[in-house]
Amino acid sequence: MGQMEPLRQNDLIAQASAARMQNDVPRAIELYSQAVERNPKWPEGWWFLGSLQYGTGAYIPARDALSHYIEMTPNAGPAFALRGLCEFETGEYPQALADMQRGISLGAANQPRNEQILRYHEALLLTRLRNYPAALKAYSFFAKKGVSNPELLAAIGLAGLRMPLLPKDVGAEERELVSAAGEAAFRFLAGDETSAAQAFQELFQRFPQASNAHFLYGYLLFATDPDAALPEFQQELKVAPSNADAEVMTAWALLLRNAAAEALPYAQRAADQEPMLPSAQLVLGRSLMETGDLKGSMEHLEKALQLEPDNLETHLALAKAYSESGRKEDARRERILCLQLTSGHGIAIEHP
Amino acid sequence: MASRLSIPRILLFVVLLAACGKAAAQAAKHNIALACAGCHASQSGPQPDTPMGRGMQWPDSDPLFKSHPELNVRKGPYTYAVETKGTQSIYSVTDGARTISLPIRWSFGKGAQTWVLEKEGELYESMVSYYPSIDGLGMTTGDETLAPQNLDEAVGRKLRKGEPKDCFGCHSTDAVSIGKLHLETLEPGVTCEHCHAGANAHMVAALQGAAYDTAPPDLLRLSSEDISNFCGQCHRTWESVVRSGWRGEINVRFQPYRLANSKCFDGTDPRISCIACHDPHKDLVSEDSSYDAKCLACHASRNESANASAQAASHHDAKACSVASAGCATCHMPKVKLPNGLMTFHDHEIRIVKPGAPYPD
Repeated sequence: MGQMEPLRQNDLIAQASAARMQNDVPRAIELYSQAVERNPKWPEGWWFLGSLQYGTGAYIPARDALSHYIEMTPNAGPAFALRGLCEFETGEYPQALADMQRGISLGAANQPRNEQILRYHEALLLTRLRNYPAALKAYSFFAKKGVSNPELLAAIGLAGLRMPLLPKDVGAEERELVSAAGEAAFRFLAGDETSAAQAFQELFQRFPQASNAHFLYGYLLFATDPDAALPEFQQELKVAPSNADAEVMTAWALLLRNAAAEALPYAQRAADQEPMLPSAQLVLGRSLMETGDLKGSMEHLEKALQLEPDNLETHLALAKAYSESGRKEDARRERILCLQLTSGHGIAIEHP
Repeated sequence: MASRLSIPRILLFVVLLAACGKAAAQAAKHNIALACAGCHASQSGPQPDTPMGRGMQWPDSDPLFKSHPELNVRKGPYTYAVETKGTQSIYSVTDGARTISLPIRWSFGKGAQTWVLEKEGELYESMVSYYPSIDGLGMTTGDETLAPQNLDEAVGRKLRKGEPKDCFGCHSTDAVSIGKLHLETLEPGVTCEHCHAGANAHMVAALQGAAYDTAPPDLLRLSSEDISNFCGQCHRTWESVVRSGWRGEINVRFQPYRLANSKCFDGTDPRISCIACHDPHKDLVSEDSSYDAKCLACHASRNESANASAQAASHHDAKACSVASAGCATCHMPKVKLPNGLMTFHDHEIRIVKPGAPYPD
């Protein structure tokens, strides 16, 4: 039609809108494409074009159309979220996660159905990008709501077992393990710790050599009962002796028990195995501080801070180390930073 | 004189009791403070009756229940009662139609008191506590925002997994070992062994002439930062308060946190540490003026400040107060009420308080 006689812009918009309302998606896409070509400063045109293209699986043009819309409407949460979903499909995972989280922060998840889609994809991306703690936290949203299905359980299993994969990429030989781990973790995240304990024991019996299974259980226990978590981390090290994360968590649990001398060798091994792992430098610095080596402690804590500048635990440890060594002003600076990092995170006190 | 045992005889008595089975061992524990007093009289003598020494009490020996055999309060649709008959104290809550009554198992605190209850194998913090400020019952601090939906919830707050270890670990001795809670072995309150790990073994070794070889670590040698963290294990460390996000007046109870926020806090200066001002073996001194000397250990007096060389010679490196020369804590460590208005604490964030300024977090 456009080739026969050019429509006036208003007519073009009206026809595009009508095609969209009639669910004639190919025609609507064609008309919106013409409209934004004529007037690239028309934000809504880009939005409708991008969302229609997403619906047809044309993720790359959809992403580009949404980028135009975002340029003109920088606080459009749904557009960021939808662009994130496009990038998820095209395999641009870091950008997808950034867009998804920006969209959520701008209110894209305020509607319940959107919330589930966005939080699920956010968790998938966090797993794919190896941020497993954040992924498990994101999945707890579903567990607390009792939302469950086999794909979700597999996704939780992947995050729990620290496998940077999407559920569709799990090989046939690992599906049972991943699902069983996901089921056990789901029960724990849902608050049913008794049932979770049973599910984890079954998991350990069926898959005694599975890496990160004991780590997962320890990690979940750790928040409320670090002492109960400790043997799980130690068991993990029997299954996977080179698991630096398990070394870190073992050291951390021992530090919480005021057993710094016991923590030190675990921390040292973690830092030797993964010197660029901020948490390894942190536990080593902390262990050295608690065993009296302030100079060594500060070296490792400052290294941890270089690797991860906003880590609260590192700032807390540095405040203590500086204070212990008489660096009063440095200690005060670190304390103020800690308070800034935690401002607005207040919770109700629960202890008499 | 005849009634006083010599030190070795006290120790022998304790060791023999310990050797005579569990019940006797329990009895022996009660005599440990007495035994420690043989050598450490000024510490062990008054300590058992301090707020820490009586951080927890068995209900049958809790003076509160003797002086207040009936306590009642109504909170919303629920009426709470604590009734003592003989040696048993019963905590009850009723909505008028149904009543739940539980024996009080453990009394936490010497002045203000909260009770820990056991119901169907789970531990609960009582929903109401006793407060001396009102000489009666009020909502337990921190539970004010709870809105029980039924009588079972109105009993109290169920302790989270791992939480009982913290409660009993601080309010009693020998309740936690290798990260596990052992209610069967606990001794109420903070005893010598609680802070001085190895004190019991040291006492036994003393019998064999090895007292000096087995002495527990000398806590006086700890730096101010370490002392703050040591006391903070129960009074909350600076770190634990930050991690928990406890902001606002509620954190005035956590003195190590408040103190470390003070501009004058120096982790290596022994003049500003918990034990520079407080003797944990004795009752808290509540006269503000009695702490003036502690402040003047750093701050110059007004006379000194007029004479620079005198100030330098005195090592009073902090400047003199321009307003007063006594009662420092009254102004610089003001009293702050908890949000529930039922308890008041001196703010340990030492500072120049400006009128109308908000509570500094």
